[in-house]
Amino acid sequence: MSKRSGTDGSLLASLPWTLAALTFSVLPHLQFLPLWATFVFLACSAWRWQVECKRWRLPPAWLRIALSLICFIGVLASYESISGVGPGSALLTVMAALKLLETKQRRDQFVLLFISIFLIMSSLLREQFLWSLPYLVAGVLFTMTAWLRMSTSSQVSIGDSFKTGARLIAYAAPLTVAMWIFFPRIATPFWAVPIDTSSASSGLSDRMSPGDISSLSMSNAVAFRVKFEGTVPPPQERYWRGLVLYRFNGRTWSGNEPSLGSGARREVDYLGDPLRYQVTMEPTQQHWVIALDIPYEWDLDHTFMARQHQLASVQPIDQRVAYTVVSYTSFRLNSKLPEFARSYYTRLPENGNRRTLELSRQMRDDAPGEEAFIRDVLQKFNKEEYFYTLEPPALGRDPVDSFLFDTRRGFCEHYASAFAVMMRAVGIPSRVVLGYQGGEMNPMGDYMIVRQADAHAWTEVWLAGRGWYRIDPTAAVAPERIESGRSAAMFDGIAASWGFTAPSEFLYQLTLTWDMLNAKWNDLILGYGPENQGKFMEWLGMDEPDWRQMMLTLVAIVTILIAIISVLLMLRYRPPPRDTAAILYQKFTQKSGVPPARGETPLSYAVRLAREQAGMAGDAASITAQYLDARYGPPDLTAIERLQASVNEFSRRF
Amino acid sequence: MQRGSTLEQLPLGADAQRAAVDKARQSLGSIILGKDREISLALACLLARGHLLIEDLPGLGKTILAQSLASVLGLSFQRIQFTSDLLPADIVGVSIFQQQQGVFKFQPGPIFAQLVLADEVNRATPKAQSALLEAMEEHQVSVDGKTHKLPTPYFVVATQNPSDQIGTFPLPESQLDRFLMRLELGYPDEESERALITGVDRRELLSEIKPALNADILLKLQETAAKIHMTDPLIDYVQALVRFTRESPDIETGLSPRGSLALVAAARSHAFIEHHSGVFPDDVQAIFVAVAGHRLKAASNSAYRTPAELSRHVLDSVAIP
Repeated sequence: MSKRSGTDGSLLASLPWTLAALTFSVLPHLQFLPLWATFVFLACSAWRWQVECKRWRLPPAWLRIALSLICFIGVLASYESISGVGPGSALLTVMAALKLLETKQRRDQFVLLFISIFLIMSSLLREQFLWSLPYLVAGVLFTMTAWLRMSTSSQVSIGDSFKTGARLIAYAAPLTVAMWIFFPRIATPFWAVPIDTSSASSGLSDRMSPGDISSLSMSNAVAFRVKFEGTVPPPQERYWRGLVLYRFNGRTWSGNEPSLGSGARREVDYLGDPLRYQVTMEPTQQHWVIALDIPYEWDLDHTFMARQHQLASVQPIDQRVAYTVVSYTSFRLNSKLPEFARSYYTRLPENGNRRTLELSRQMRDDAPGEEAFIRDVLQKFNKEEYFYTLEPPALGRDPVDSFLFDTRRGFCEHYASAFAVMMRAVGIPSRVVLGYQGGEMNPMGDYMIVRQADAHAWTEVWLAGRGWYRIDPTAAVAPERIESGRSAAMFDGIAASWGFTAPSEFLYQLTLTWDMLNAKWNDLILGYGPENQGKFMEWLGMDEPDWRQMMLTLVAIVTILIAIISVLLMLRYRPPPRDTAAILYQKFTQKSGVPPARGETPLSYAVRLAREQAGMAGDAASITAQYLDARYGPPDLTAIERLQASVNEFSRRF
Repeated sequence: MQRGSTLEQLPLGADAQRAAVDKARQSLGSIILGKDREISLALACLLARGHLLIEDLPGLGKTILAQSLASVLGLSFQRIQFTSDLLPADIVGVSIFQQQQGVFKFQPGPIFAQLVLADEVNRATPKAQSALLEAMEEHQVSVDGKTHKLPTPYFVVATQNPSDQIGTFPLPESQLDRFLMRLELGYPDEESERALITGVDRRELLSEIKPALNADILLKLQETAAKIHMTDPLIDYVQALVRFTRESPDIETGLSPRGSLALVAAARSHAFIEHHSGVFPDDVQAIFVAVAGHRLKAASNSAYRTPAELSRHVLDSVAIP
């Protein structure tokens, strides 16, 4: 062939749509993609657009191959892998961008739009929020419209393409719903897709160094949601146990990986009335399972009570889980503590925090007993100049000393840490519990939201005869932090993190509604697993159907739906009245003033017309040729467009 | 789909195919002067895998046309002069006893050529005629219980003098049907005749001519021609024409379904030769007389006497949808 020529601009009309649809589909991935991949995508899109506008040539094959290789290596370097959601979507994005550089004709655009659909689907592997569904539908609609823009002539208006796209999606919707309901859900699907977990918020940290963090993150993200079956316990009883830290190195508190405490549950004496509730917990990537102090029964698989009476799962919680727990807020833990355990929970580093140790011992000597001493310490926090703040100053080399004597400002971690150290200084076993405190009822859905901002640290001390006893030193400093259900709105800092000085009531209501919708979405849509499906099938009258039955039902329903939709479409179908080309040609022959004879072919008519109306010779030849191509040639919408243009122009002149 | 599949099957591009056809037409036109329409029809007949009957008075260039078709298309050529004493074996071939080997060996007759000119076919007896016609129909001949395939492409050009001359056996109607087209060459116009008189001898010219195609290309062109796009309105038109021939009081026997198929095939290859994007009504009209003329029988009281008149009547009466 001859030298490569530039593009002919034939994609000018449809390319913007293809680009827009692609961009729309890439958008949800952007925040997870490496920066360079975003750049590659934008650069290739801009480049391709320029190529089309300026009639440039597309880049040669060697350059495209080189770019593909570089991008492939780039993905490999960024992720150190090419499998999984992250590298997969990055690869898909850059390859879509590179495909743009070899998009010459409609067929290539089809490929691009397929990729666009695939991209928007794969974004579901990362996040399945409430807005993911409308976004998905919008993305598919966008892609369909781009498709239609590419396949139809420019006479069809954008609104019509849009409507056609929407109609196609509407036809598909019943099928989608039927498939979603009836496709057999299996508890451990063999097609499980690796869910991208790098982005999930981690929730509680598994160590605590109050000296280091100078400000606590006040994230409004939901940690978990709770639906109580009976009465809701008052805020001061809502201690959500997370994990327990018991090793202290002078600065940092840490715990162990959860290990099965064989007798942990037997060490608990459950008192009072049980509380039954369902928790829907957001993924944390950790093993800890949140439950109200202190859990008695739970129905989450592979979950046990660890040595310090916290619930832990064998698998890290890497996706949203829902479980039912029975808890007793009144209880007694470990009425007996063996000697070795006792030494464990009273251990302090040899050096450091000397002033604290001295003070503790002195206060212990002044107090008549251990309980009196504890009361004195809490009194000290309450009466003396100690302040609760979310932005405490950084602490020095001996963090407990400098907190207790110098800065005197801190939040729950500081108080819990200082209190536990003071207890240990006089030989009272103590440990720090991390978890959540409080929670906020959502009246819209009658459930409780516990946010990351409700994260809390408190202490447990062991007293002879009483066992492990919860003491929350923060309550001594800032009782309102514990007593009010809603912690976040009470304190400075939280409002700032919202971007308002004081969140208005309306906005507050709005967020509650939004959260309720999210909870419903999680429950009904995302939570539609094997269990819910089983219940639904039962409700439909199918008792414990196996997957074979389910598949047959699915096939039957889908077949019926397709039949119904087809019949509806057939009933709606109206055959086109007459060829557009024929109508246009008739208009031409009428305008020319020379009626065609019966059985006269268009070509012979053109010759006769040219003879009789010399002025029309040129038009006769060109319009006849266009008419024959449009009406008798292979399907080609542009031929009809050309004919229409010529006939319109002809009828203007004559 | 149509276009795509055609292109994929052909190493020869669409442009190259068009150029080949044009070249063949040009070469033929340089030998047979002033008969462009007939040349197109003859080519269309050949591309539609049909056989051609040329009917006219002697000396109008029937033989030259057949010969130049063979030369220009690059096909092997045999001529059979039909006479009243011609025997089927003279056409098909005979098995001859080979004394040395002691076996019979088939000696292929003149019919074993890609292009066979059956000259003055109406002068032979019906027996000899039917030997030819059977071979045309079946593309093979059976001799002594053995079947012999005829070469591909296989194309018979038969010439016939108008039957009102003495000592002839005119082909019956059932056998005329085997020819896709029947052409009448007619007298050349004055200008062409003058060029003919003053120019080089045609036979000399013929020996010099170089083939524009070969058998392989021809087969591919035939494939392409058979796939030319045909739209619903055009099929409507063909059906309307056929229906008219069956219903018109002027016509005793209308076109058979084989006739409809012949119309469509011929129109397709005509559209191909004319480089049309699809089959146009003009293509149907262009081949109509040649394809339908010898298949239609005028009613005895009809005002239209000749096949050409009758065909014209059909075309003028049927509106193009």
